[in-house]
Amino acid sequence: MEKMIFGRYIPGNSFVHKLDPRSKLLFVFAFIIVVFFANNTLTYGILLAFTLIVILLSKIRLYFLINGLKPVIFLMLFTLILHLFMTREGPVLVDLGFMKIYEEGLRQGVYISMRFLMLVFMTSILTLTTSPISITDGLEVLLNPFKKIKLPVHELALMMSISLRFIPTLMDETDKIMKAQMARGSDLSAGPIKDRLKAVVPLLVPLFISAFKRAEDLATAMEVRGYRGGEGRTKYRLLKWHAKDTIILVALVIMAILLWMLRG
Amino acid sequence: MKVKFLATSAIIAALYIAITMLVAPISFGQVQFRIAEIFNHLIAFNPRFMLGVVLGVFFSNFLMSSVGPIDLIFGVGHTILTLGIFIFICKFVKNIWARLVINTTLFTFTMFIIAAQLNLVLDFPFWETWLFVAFGEFVVLAVGAPIMYTLNKRLDFKKLI
Repeated sequence: MEKMIFGRYIPGNSFVHKLDPRSKLLFVFAFIIVVFFANNTLTYGILLAFTLIVILLSKIRLYFLINGLKPVIFLMLFTLILHLFMTREGPVLVDLGFMKIYEEGLRQGVYISMRFLMLVFMTSILTLTTSPISITDGLEVLLNPFKKIKLPVHELALMMSISLRFIPTLMDETDKIMKAQMARGSDLSAGPIKDRLKAVVPLLVPLFISAFKRAEDLATAMEVRGYRGGEGRTKYRLLKWHAKDTIILVALVIMAILLWMLRG
Repeated sequence: MKVKFLATSAIIAALYIAITMLVAPISFGQVQFRIAEIFNHLIAFNPRFMLGVVLGVFFSNFLMSSVGPIDLIFGVGHTILTLGIFIFICKFVKNIWARLVINTTLFTFTMFIIAAQLNLVLDFPFWETWLFVAFGEFVVLAVGAPIMYTLNKRLDFKKLI
């Protein structure tokens, strides 16, 4: 069970692990935009090299990254095939009689699959090397400017932490209720669709009741302990911005400028 | 912000994420869909559920989306926009069944935002993708409507947040 979400964070001691969550979040969001700058073989090559360096620095075993690709491999192949057959530009590479594969189609297909691959790798590295709690902490600081427009940043961050805390609990609960109802003879995976849908109701009722009860208990506990919002609260975990955080952001900016100059 | 509202919204978000992860693998035949999207129907009973659902979408997309954080902008934007329109419509429509039908139709329609995202990132053909994702969403919400209606009879969502 735990391996589904928290297994995605792998504690470690690498360069990327030690970075501040704020710089990692900024880096990934900027990278998503920068990826779209590339449009020829040279710029895609630079991007790919950059991604590989980040993977090496994170010391994440390639196995984890490849494993994370499984759900999207179909999507990638679909994209590739779509472009292979739909784009009709440039010289013909293969003539199958009923279908022709053009150079431009192959090129576009490979480019877009690569772009997708790099996006998936980069975001996986973020969640693999940063614990959910530091992600929340980082987001809270990054969202701080929005306090000016009355966005309740502290409350939102607290809600995120509470959600993260309760995901495994509620997953266990769902699992338990599912097994309990199966023991009573409910079958979610067989039979006509109408029956399967009906079987969902006895699953959701106890789940909702227990979740709302948890929320109520939690609210009571918070009030009893004197929770009064973010005003004047201090933090147990303090974020520290190091030189290496500045370095990776500068590296990204340099690469972005390079891509912009070399794009066709 | 009241503490109870804060706690309930957080738990709703957690439930959304937990269900997205757990119940989703039980696929109903060939159609893949996110069962947790039925939480969108909660807003038909009380607009205050919106924050919890939006947070749930935010975190599920953040932690599990294959397309990456770009899904945060489009996916969360889709939910906020659609629920915003829906809450506005709810001011004029009081009948619960009518609200559920409107919500289903609205979400199916606005799936073009997700199609646009897939079009941007993966270069999928826009119209076909819209048809495909809208179908998935429609099935979940259409099936979810009677389920949520039944649940409401037993739980009375309006008073829970």
